[in-house]
Amino acid sequence: MKYLLYQLKKHPLAIAGIAVMLVWLFLAFFGPNLVPFTHTQMDSDHQMVAPGVNGHLLGTDSLGRDILARVVYGSRSILTVALMTSLFSTVIGVIIGFSAGYFGGKADTAFLRAMDILMAIPPLVLSMVILGILGDSNIGSLTIIVSIAFVPATARVARGVLLTEKSQEYVSAARIRGESHLYIMFVEILPNTTGPIIVEATARFAYSIMMVASLGFLGVGMQPPTPDWGMMVIENKPIISNAPWAVLFPALAIASLVIAISIFSDFVSKVLIHER
Amino acid sequence: MNRITRLVLQRLGSLLATLVIMSFIIFMLVEIMPGDVAQMILGQSATEEAVAALREARGLNDPVLQRYVRWVGALATGDLGESIYMQGVAINSILWRRVGHSLVLALAAFILFVPLSIFLGVLAGVKEKKPTDSVISFFGLATMALPEFVSGVILITVFAVTLDWFPIVSVIPIGETLFGNLDILVLPALSITFVMFGYVSRMQRSSMISVMNSDYVRAAILKGMPRRYVIFRHALKNALLPTITIIGMNMGWLFGGLVVVETLFGFPGMGSLLMTAIKTRDVPLIEACVLLITVIYSLSTMVTDIMYSYLNPRIRYQGGQR
Amino acid sequence: MNDNILDIENLHVKFKTFDGLFSAVRNVSLSIGYDESIGIIGESGCGKSTLSFSIMHYLAQNASVEGSIRFKGEDLLLKSEREMEKYRGDRIAMVFQNPYSSLNPALTIGFQLDEVGMHHQKLNKKEAREATIAALRLMNLGDPKSIARRYPHQVSGGIQQRICIAMAILCKPDLMILDEPTTALDVTTEAVILDSIKDLREKLKMSLMYISHDMGVINKVAEHVVVMYNGEIVERGPKQQIFEHPLHPYTRALINCMPRGSVVKEKTKLNTIDGYVKMRGAEETGCPFADRCDKRTDTCELSYGIREVSDRHWAACDRAYATDIPDSTAVKLIPKKREDVHGPLQPKELLKIDGLQKIYGNRRKVHAVNGIDFSVQSGSVIGIVGESGCGKSTTGHMVSGLHVPTEGRILFDGTDITVGWRKRSKETLKNIQLIFQNPGRSLNPSHTVEQIIARPMKRLAHIDDRGKRRTMIIDMLKKVDLGKEYLSKKPRQLSGGEQQRVAIARALSISPELIVCDEPTSALDVSVQASVLNLLNDLQVETQVAYMFISHDLNVINYLSDHIMVMYAGKICEYGKRDEVMAPPFHPYTEALLSAVPEVDPTKQRTAIALGGQLPDPTKKPKGCPFAGRCHRQVGEICAREYPPMVRISDTHYYHCHIDPTDA
Repeated sequence: MKYLLYQLKKHPLAIAGIAVMLVWLFLAFFGPNLVPFTHTQMDSDHQMVAPGVNGHLLGTDSLGRDILARVVYGSRSILTVALMTSLFSTVIGVIIGFSAGYFGGKADTAFLRAMDILMAIPPLVLSMVILGILGDSNIGSLTIIVSIAFVPATARVARGVLLTEKSQEYVSAARIRGESHLYIMFVEILPNTTGPIIVEATARFAYSIMMVASLGFLGVGMQPPTPDWGMMVIENKPIISNAPWAVLFPALAIASLVIAISIFSDFVSKVLIHER
Repeated sequence: MNRITRLVLQRLGSLLATLVIMSFIIFMLVEIMPGDVAQMILGQSATEEAVAALREARGLNDPVLQRYVRWVGALATGDLGESIYMQGVAINSILWRRVGHSLVLALAAFILFVPLSIFLGVLAGVKEKKPTDSVISFFGLATMALPEFVSGVILITVFAVTLDWFPIVSVIPIGETLFGNLDILVLPALSITFVMFGYVSRMQRSSMISVMNSDYVRAAILKGMPRRYVIFRHALKNALLPTITIIGMNMGWLFGGLVVVETLFGFPGMGSLLMTAIKTRDVPLIEACVLLITVIYSLSTMVTDIMYSYLNPRIRYQGGQR
Repeated sequence: MNDNILDIENLHVKFKTFDGLFSAVRNVSLSIGYDESIGIIGESGCGKSTLSFSIMHYLAQNASVEGSIRFKGEDLLLKSEREMEKYRGDRIAMVFQNPYSSLNPALTIGFQLDEVGMHHQKLNKKEAREATIAALRLMNLGDPKSIARRYPHQVSGGIQQRICIAMAILCKPDLMILDEPTTALDVTTEAVILDSIKDLREKLKMSLMYISHDMGVINKVAEHVVVMYNGEIVERGPKQQIFEHPLHPYTRALINCMPRGSVVKEKTKLNTIDGYVKMRGAEETGCPFADRCDKRTDTCELSYGIREVSDRHWAACDRAYATDIPDSTAVKLIPKKREDVHGPLQPKELLKIDGLQKIYGNRRKVHAVNGIDFSVQSGSVIGIVGESGCGKSTTGHMVSGLHVPTEGRILFDGTDITVGWRKRSKETLKNIQLIFQNPGRSLNPSHTVEQIIARPMKRLAHIDDRGKRRTMIIDMLKKVDLGKEYLSKKPRQLSGGEQQRVAIARALSISPELIVCDEPTSALDVSVQASVLNLLNDLQVETQVAYMFISHDLNVINYLSDHIMVMYAGKICEYGKRDEVMAPPFHPYTEALLSAVPEVDPTKQRTAIALGGQLPDPTKKPKGCPFAGRCHRQVGEICAREYPPMVRISDTHYYHCHIDPTDA
């Protein structure tokens, strides 16, 4: 704990990052109740008004919908999907990567081949095509598809950390007292790999947000009327010359959240891995 | 050299296997896709007889496997099939031009971000923990965290809306070519550069730092070599090796980024074509685009792998005594 | 001007860390004369490396330096980085511990040597290459031209280090600093390098600063010795005086705790130093050794401080032989003997190895062990000695079940256990335990000491009652001199010696019949090594467990073993009772190995037999005598053609050699 405070003091940027993250979490929980408009309400007298007019703190879009309300409401879906995705892809990645790395030999070769194939198509393209073909995305399908798209990467990381630990002698010691594979993998090795795995999970969290936002932008993410940050950008792009705020604020929302998480992830890796 | 030839053959073989499996997966995915292809071609108003006739004519009633083999067979001869949405236009006639545009865009981004991020990454690594490093590192972190369409939007607001230096959308007027309209490349290429810069410069920085802390760099400094010389002759070559791999691995992000950027700017490339195909459920076009992206992506990782082995004497001259 | 090339005065080096400011070097003063060789000795963490890097003006950014380092009258600490470049590599050269990582993997060897000449002596490319070749030739490297064209990974570790030394002497420096240059190398390779260093000094007339933890090595190369402890110089002076009549209790203890030729377990226990080095904050003062010193009195620190006792002999304390405190070591010296515990034991054949072979890899085959036979008696200690790559560890790992033999049989107490751990019964797993070289890595860092020791008890000895287990663990910890408070500690909180004690406790807690000890003390400092060896011996006598003790250190093997087996390139060279192996007639390799071990006693200096050549390529199927390529007593071409026959000297002693035993 004292060590953590010492590190925080050394990295003021991390404090800012954590603060921004907390603000977004707070807004996702309580935000919609604090904003005077709802995300679907159309203020037909004030279409495309600039920030500040008629109580629209961040202005309105071409239908007169309040940008602030939509941004705040949109944080819910993206945070939910991103959190679940980073969790699932990490857990699945650890299970697959650990098994492949631990057993080695043919299982490992098969794993590497399969990952090569999955990785031969960019994750964004993969999710986009599948979601596009399936149509009508929701939180569930988004989470599943994005998790699948991320598993090759997380599994590789997990396999890598397992391989460095596997060569340690405490693993040999466990073997020659006849421990089961599961015991060695999850009781002996796993506790020593939490650092890199947590770092990977936080980095995944940032990637997930970028990915979900990009999918929303491409129109294969959350479906209307749920506001989605990515979707808001493309929706309002035609009016960018007249009402740049309608595009800029959702974009800034994404930027601030992802940057904050990346800073946090960077900090976590410094504390957990590099400086110990 | 022998080793590298073997590597190329090995990678080409695995690419072929990847393609076969990939095409199968996509084909199956399309199979379970809701909706009837024949119906889609003819539109909702078509009569049932017409739909049935088209199904028969196109062989859509044949077993799945048979259709798959037929499709792959056609692919092998270079026939990518016909677009559904564009009413029977051969995909070959629209796709390649788009691919060319995308490659030019990717190349433009590549030329921008590779030297820039390597240079700044090395600089940050050499000046570790100094102000220069902090600025570059934060900039890298921030750009890395911005999805292409966000940085794109910011670029548009600044350079297209406010300053009006570049067009908001990247459209090539009918009858002209991309090379006559190079200004439409700038903002899309910059948006891609942003993200890639973040990744590559951060990786370059950390590999530079680890090399600068290595025993052999210490040994070089302690035999009196000037710092600048040590950085260029001793450190750089070793620090570049991991970066090559990283660039190769991030080609995936680059291609994903292409789709996003092309959609944002309406750039006439393969990515926006794929997007249109998905929106209009143009199955043959989707299949063709995805396979092509796979090929290009795999080839580019292969090239980086070969470069890596060539530049690394430990791989080039494997064996010997040790 | 004075006649010293280097004068260090009141040097302090402090590092700022999370835990606060701590001193790595404090109040160090010493000088090196022209053409003088000075040896700096101390255990890990004593500040000897920091001292050498401060001379090079190369310290981390969180370091602060006080005092002065005058090289030919000029204070190096006042020099800028740019000015230091003129000294480094030109006037002062340095050689490091690990040659493999000290050479740039991406550049050819020639390039890395050429640049030194080109930069410092402004030679052109051709002249520089000539200088390079000359330097390589000076280090007795055959065919320097072809070596210069290679990359570092294409030559062996010993040659890499000789290249590093060639690089250091390229500009004929005035002072050469060698920081543990042979620690990572085999003892025969070490002997070759030490010889060539001696040679160089005669040819080049330069001053030498040689840093090592090994008394024997220092004895070979230095005229003047500096003993460091926890950042301070505790004693310095001419080698003869330091080695024969040390004044500081630490110096005496350090010399005594090295196992050596005549010291064997039946006669005496090894001397030890209690406790371990603690990191000292910058504010702490007083005698750094006080907490471990057995000559400590309440008032002795009043007179503490470094002073010149006799001509050029300085010491911080002179109580090494103080008589006001009884010599506690003398009491402890008597080792446990077998008779103390049990009556004479009827030995049985516990382990029988028959034609054991291990080949690693599928396509590129590595012949690690090439068909060996031997047996281990119950309650005895067999020492397996050999250099890296001789197959000793592989043998140990096959016995303990980590590796499955490619061919041959392992019989344990009559049962065939020629299988891996997966197929062994719990009984077998319990009866054969393994202690690893690196205790920090063999204990799971995220488990507590109690969990670590409890697990095998639960799994293999079926002691399921938690309370009972705990009492047994506390008992066991007491046996390895650790208190109850260690139960809840994690390995990271323990020193290396304590970690190894926990590992020993873990192995012994389920009363096995055989413990394979794979270099259990090589990662430890000498003072800690001594106490672990004493402990291993006491426990062996007490429990009558058999040890298969694997080590590269002939002195350690000699101290602890009943039988010794010498291995080379996957084969047994010589086998016999300890005293038989350690006395002539020898297998030529045993002879070379014995001659290469650096002697601690300055009056006894022997010349090492210089072995040329290389280890045989392990990827090729062995043919003839594996040692033929390097043997100094080759009989003829038969050596390379035919595997030598077994020469029986006595019932218990044999070796494999073509030399006629009557000539030997």
